[in-house]
Amino acid sequence: MKWIYSTWWKWISVVLLTYVVACSFFVPLGPGITKVSPLGFYPDSVYTFQINTSHAHFLSPQAGKVQLWFKNQNNYFAPISFKVTSNTTVEAQFAVGSVQQNNFKPSNFDVVLNDDLDGTFALRDAVTLVASATVDSSFKALAFSIEPEVKSNHHKLICFPYREILYETIRNTFFHVPMWFVMTMLAFTSFLASIRYLASGKPEQDLLAEQSVIVALLFGTCGYLTGLLWAKYTWYIGVSWSDVIRKLLLEDIKMAAALVAMFFYAAYLILRSAIDDENKRARISAVYNIFAFVIFIMCVFVLPRLTDSMHPGNGGNPAFSKYDLDSTLRLFFYPAVIGWIVLGYWILSVLIRIQLLSKKQKS
Amino acid sequence: MKRISTTTILILFSTMLFAQGDSGTNNFFASNLKIFVPVGVLTIILLCLFVFLFDIEKRLKKLEDAKN
Repeated sequence: MKWIYSTWWKWISVVLLTYVVACSFFVPLGPGITKVSPLGFYPDSVYTFQINTSHAHFLSPQAGKVQLWFKNQNNYFAPISFKVTSNTTVEAQFAVGSVQQNNFKPSNFDVVLNDDLDGTFALRDAVTLVASATVDSSFKALAFSIEPEVKSNHHKLICFPYREILYETIRNTFFHVPMWFVMTMLAFTSFLASIRYLASGKPEQDLLAEQSVIVALLFGTCGYLTGLLWAKYTWYIGVSWSDVIRKLLLEDIKMAAALVAMFFYAAYLILRSAIDDENKRARISAVYNIFAFVIFIMCVFVLPRLTDSMHPGNGGNPAFSKYDLDSTLRLFFYPAVIGWIVLGYWILSVLIRIQLLSKKQKS
Repeated sequence: MKRISTTTILILFSTMLFAQGDSGTNNFFASNLKIFVPVGVLTIILLCLFVFLFDIEKRLKKLEDAKN
């Protein structure tokens, strides 16, 4: 185990994590519609809609022609009039004729915007047409379906995908997700060390197995606590903290299974402290550790994919890679994963050195 | 390790203190497109690492004291 005494590889973590933490916050979110008002309208007059967006560039010289449509199912409708009021806000007038009010089912309209710089972005079911019981034939304006023409659907910006509900929390991909990668890597290291211990009987392999589990639990705890915060403001806005924890454990199998997996590793440490004889402790805990790793993989990677879970990539949900069309997330995600993993091994190496020192002193 | 697990459990319990008075979407963390959630996440990770570092240091101190 010479690697614990060398320094160069620790710099990988320093460089990569500094890059991720410092630079990822300078990358803005992509353009998105935050608010359309009013939310509903009637087929009785022309309505003026105020559309607020974030991170759009309507007044930029590269934006070119800004266009807007109201979309119902697969049909696009042009507004009666449309104007850009600021770099991020637009105003559109739209009306649906009384005679055509029953053509829209469901009667929700998406608002779709496009310009050359921001590409196409939309708010799903932004406005709702409330049909009246009787047809008012005095109101003659009609919404016409058109074929939209755009230069490009894709934006020309360096940005993270704008997702409703997630918004800026998409940045947690670089912090919450790698925690579990580190835990998995360290659990795997521990698993290998336990197998090697059983094969060779070298006490340093036992030491490696034990200390890996301690660091794995540290990163597991980080992953769990960060996950709690992220989950509360994504899935349970307005739900009290005690309800969030109860609901998550019941409703999201991955949360419950990860907790079980962490308890299995905590039990490994308790098992170790319960046996006094050194050889016996090492052998029994090595066998236990091999089973604990299998259970960990089952709990975190297999079980959530079999049943329903709210986590992306589980229970039939799309993973984040589906949203990341231009791979800006990947630019930070892969360095973050490597950086955090190296940091995990760094902490592990310090722990092992302390243990080796204390053994040396005892003998 | 005992100290760390106790701290973790106590932190989890402390969340119960916030059970009251959560005003839904007008919340601090939900404001500004939820930018404070990643900030909170980073803070949690840093705090966990700091608690752990203090624990390591304590063990090291014991070794140093034994040496003298």
